Amino acid sequence: MSAVPIDVESRPGARLLLLLPALALLLLFLVVPMFSVFRTSFFPGTSSMGATGFTLSQYARFFSSTLYNSVLLETVAYGIIVSVGCIVLGFPVGYSLARMPPAKRRLRMILIIVPLTLSLVVVVFGWMVLLGRQGLLNNLLLALGLIEAPRQLLFNRAAVLVVLIQQFLPFMILSIMNVVLQIDPVLEHASTSLRATRLTTFRKVVVPLAAPGIVSGFTLVFVMTVSAFVTPRLIGGARTQMLGGLIFDEVLTTMNWPFGAAMSFILLAVGLGVLALVNMLVVRRITRGLHVR
Amino acid sequence: MSADLRDRLFAALGFLVRWTVYASLLLPAAIVVAASLTPGDILRFPPPGISLRWYRAVWESDLFMNSLGLSFRLAALATLVSLVLGFAAAYAVDRYRFRGLGLVRSFLLSPLLVPTVVLGLGLMQFLVWIGLGQTFLGLLAGHLVITLPYVVRTLSASMVLFDRNLEQAAMSLRAPPLTVLRTITLPLLFPGIISAMVFAFVTSFGNVTLSVFLNYDGEVTLPVQVLSYVEQNYDPLVAAVSSVVILVTVLAIFIADRISGAKSVI
Repeated sequence: MSAVPIDVESRPGARLLLLLPALALLLLFLVVPMFSVFRTSFFPGTSSMGATGFTLSQYARFFSSTLYNSVLLETVAYGIIVSVGCIVLGFPVGYSLARMPPAKRRLRMILIIVPLTLSLVVVVFGWMVLLGRQGLLNNLLLALGLIEAPRQLLFNRAAVLVVLIQQFLPFMILSIMNVVLQIDPVLEHASTSLRATRLTTFRKVVVPLAAPGIVSGFTLVFVMTVSAFVTPRLIGGARTQMLGGLIFDEVLTTMNWPFGAAMSFILLAVGLGVLALVNMLVVRRITRGLHVR
Repeated sequence: MSADLRDRLFAALGFLVRWTVYASLLLPAAIVVAASLTPGDILRFPPPGISLRWYRAVWESDLFMNSLGLSFRLAALATLVSLVLGFAAAYAVDRYRFRGLGLVRSFLLSPLLVPTVVLGLGLMQFLVWIGLGQTFLGLLAGHLVITLPYVVRTLSASMVLFDRNLEQAAMSLRAPPLTVLRTITLPLLFPGIISAMVFAFVTSFGNVTLSVFLNYDGEVTLPVQVLSYVEQNYDPLVAAVSSVVILVTVLAIFIADRISGAKSVI
């Protein structure tokens, strides 16, 4: 009744009250579990139940095995190839979406958001049907007379790469679109009116300005690729191993949590290391490009 | 003139790449739906005819129907809880200026950048320690961690566009704060709220990489059920189940698009 307008911004307690539930949730179910994995990775033996002690033996076991080392290397290679593939294929799409009138963009956005939100396992299954012996691709190749009998197109590295790129493309497209939306088209017109070719404008104007979006897309895709385990498992079969798959097996099949934990932190550390390196290199190149001309 | 030719080639190449990308994005889902309509016993594409027998088989399969039920319950609950927590947090981040604001915002979005294998192992181990291993509550907690950042991000984006003068006007007309919230703030943020809910729902409903670590009492979510089924069998039944997942996802996205435009979903 005698309600005096209350300025919400003058109540310090309210802020804490509003933030507390979300922060508590993440603290309890994200931060604490991550710390517990970190601690577990230093346990000796093969079980974390009732384990005590502190040793680097899990890490030593990983790095002294050629198998694990080559899987780690291969995983990082997958991460880089998939991220670069996503940039190459995603840039034209993200750029054209950003330069489109919103009404025209609408349907295309749905085309990108549905695969993004669709369950990973369904997408992977779709590729299994597509590449299977009775699948579309085999039938197409047979009809065109390019092959004589159905071939096994699954269970090889190329198939894993194609499927991973398709899965993560929407993230890259949206990341690039969002940054291009903020670039004033006037800059490109200016470049063109100065008689720069499309290619020059693209190289000297668009790419440097879109760099933040490219880098954030790269980061996201790289992290998702190196930790992938569903796709390598179903599409790659036993012959293509990625670190995510090894961790999965170690945790759910072998139940060796200390070793699984150590591999998790190696994955995190190597992933962050590669990202830091790439960010450094890209940022340096872009800034140089901007200063020269 | 060679520059002109190069420009045209460049444009043609862009066109080609764009439509290859759109086609490949659509392809897996389209193939699954088409393959699920086969009347035969073998999964093949193109299917030799059209029949709904495999959908009937899904309906009669306890295995998949139980998982579908669990996935719906889980996604609905995860959506509601993360909406409440995420709205409060996004509101606080939007309205208050305080030290550590940037840190809080990054922290709220950080689950997006944690590899799910690592989070999965951590949660699995932690839940066992606190006695929540193999429980619905544990599964829900895990899903909240991955849906919360989407809710916070979507709501933050729509709060930035919010015209606060409308609230000021209501307050100057002596409306109590709760009335302002109910009659001004919430209705204006409605499209953002719907987008956040849709995104949280489909994220939880489709998740497989985290759920696979958090089985509960032998019951698993639908995507996990599909994963373990596909590892053993390869038949049209799983195509029909997958089509159900596709249908739910597409419907959710269309609802969001109708109410607030597809762009706001991200």
